[in-house]
Amino acid sequence: MRGLKSRKKGRTNRELLLFSLPAIVWYVSFCYLPLFGIIFAFKDFTPKPGDPLVKNLFVNSPWVGLKNFSFLFLSSEMPKILFNTLFYNTVFLILGIIIPVFLAIILAEIHSRVFSGLVQVVMVLPYFLSWVIVGYCLYGFLATDEGQVNHILRILGGSAVFWYQSPEYWRFILILTEVWKSTGYSMMIYLCAITSIDRTLYECARLDGATFLQRVRHITLPLLRPTVATIFILRLGSLLASDFGLFYQVPLNSNSLQPVTQTLDVYVYQALMMEANFSYSAAASFLQNIVGCSLLLIANAIIRKLDADSSLM
Amino acid sequence: MLPFSAEEELTAEQKSAFSKKTNLIVSLLLVLLILLVSLPVLLVLIVSVSSEQSVVNNGYSFFPDSFSLDAWRYLAHSGMYLARAVFNSFLITAVGTTLGLLIMCPISYALSRKNFRYRNGIMIFLIIPMLFSGGLVSTYMVNTQILHLQNTYLALILPGLCSTWYIMILRNYFQTAVPEAMIEAAMVDGGRQLQIFWRIVLPVSRPVTMTVALFQIFAYWNSWYPSLLYLDSNHTELFPLQYVLVNMQRSIDTLANDAQYISGMQVYTPPAVTVRMVLVVMAILPILIIFPFFHRFLKNGMTIGAVKG
Repeated sequence: MRGLKSRKKGRTNRELLLFSLPAIVWYVSFCYLPLFGIIFAFKDFTPKPGDPLVKNLFVNSPWVGLKNFSFLFLSSEMPKILFNTLFYNTVFLILGIIIPVFLAIILAEIHSRVFSGLVQVVMVLPYFLSWVIVGYCLYGFLATDEGQVNHILRILGGSAVFWYQSPEYWRFILILTEVWKSTGYSMMIYLCAITSIDRTLYECARLDGATFLQRVRHITLPLLRPTVATIFILRLGSLLASDFGLFYQVPLNSNSLQPVTQTLDVYVYQALMMEANFSYSAAASFLQNIVGCSLLLIANAIIRKLDADSSLM
Repeated sequence: MLPFSAEEELTAEQKSAFSKKTNLIVSLLLVLLILLVSLPVLLVLIVSVSSEQSVVNNGYSFFPDSFSLDAWRYLAHSGMYLARAVFNSFLITAVGTTLGLLIMCPISYALSRKNFRYRNGIMIFLIIPMLFSGGLVSTYMVNTQILHLQNTYLALILPGLCSTWYIMILRNYFQTAVPEAMIEAAMVDGGRQLQIFWRIVLPVSRPVTMTVALFQIFAYWNSWYPSLLYLDSNHTELFPLQYVLVNMQRSIDTLANDAQYISGMQVYTPPAVTVRMVLVVMAILPILIIFPFFHRFLKNGMTIGAVKG
């Protein structure tokens, strides 16, 4: 009897392993195979045409230690790129919590379910448009000749602005675009969290004479903390990462805008595809990765210390 | 439904902290907000049916002088290039989504079984790539030089097939929606895992598989970055719609600039101005069509808190 049972258990394990196999194969080829490529960052990649990649990387390219990183940091562009990446991510992090939480709290109180649903659908739609589409939508406003904004400026007697050549406006434009695209989705996440709060808490608060603001402060916000913390930790993990589409496609890869639009991800792409500078590109993404991963783990550890329920792992 | 349950249940209005007046004011502000939010998309929709002359005179306007379907007609007659792009987008979306689900659902089911011996090991194996990745350079080199995906449909499909998030969402749902006792009973009856998965687990898990499917449909339909990396200009027959749009932005700008430069005056190649907005609308339209239907499922995908642990 025991033999039969353990045989059945073995069979189940084998079958379930077989179930997992296709995904495991995918993860090996698309996630684990590229992992060895981290050593690009520590090599001076000098491929010989005709040799396979592995030979080019391990045999033909000399080790250079941390030289790629020191070059990267000493390059005149890097301070600007790092500043842009950190600047936008900090702004997005703050606005990405405050605005959606505010909207979600308000939306949860709206009387009509149908209207609330309509607001949700409209607000969340931009999140599901690609950056290419977003780029075109913005172009409709900002194009030099046909753009709606210049058209209005002309009517008002002003002169047209060459938006895609004027970097001074773009910090604001990029922030506005990101807020437009991502607010709805975050709002939905917070709204889900709010609607799952036990309504009797609010009932009790109301019977005790709590005002709306007091309810928000003492019930809604504390109970939203785990959700906010989760999103905060995840965002922190991508502190050096940036949305390539927002910074490359939305400004139409315009050269004169680069001082305010170039972020690490744009640099990683350009170093690879435009300058074929494999080692610098790899060094930059390695940096992104290691900083992101450490920040994620540190933030998670700190939050776990403060409030065990709010941490990720 | 019991007849008196309605009396005990408070209406949304009674539960709300807003008085009738506050509700009205806030609602009006929200109407303003959603109008503002939808303006960019509205502009593109309107321009796509504006007449070329109107755009030349007034620019991309919310209130064109006259409407016309010329740009749509022009595209309908423009031959294979665009039809091919739309076909490519549909193909990539359909194949990528289906294949992705076929790979992700079984492993999620395996991970949802508490007595699966390798459960924790595989879970760690799936989480590590969320923390570390090889970076763009090595991903690019592996995909082009080892897997030889460049200039194939596979380059646009395979890299986006799986995601640990989706696997975790699927696993959690399988775990909670299908009672362990039900699976035990099926196993006592001699059911194989494949039968249990196919006959019991998948049918009750429609909401979550639909959610993941729709997220994947949007991701594939919107994808253009893989095309930018892996397709070169000699393989326009593989371009999906989104990438045609990326290219059109570039080529039309250079075209217009060159024309201006050569003739010293504004030159409009007839359809150029409205046609690209028609293409944008073609890329938005499928999303607009399935979106209201999708909204129902959206909340399933948002249970970030439930993914924990």
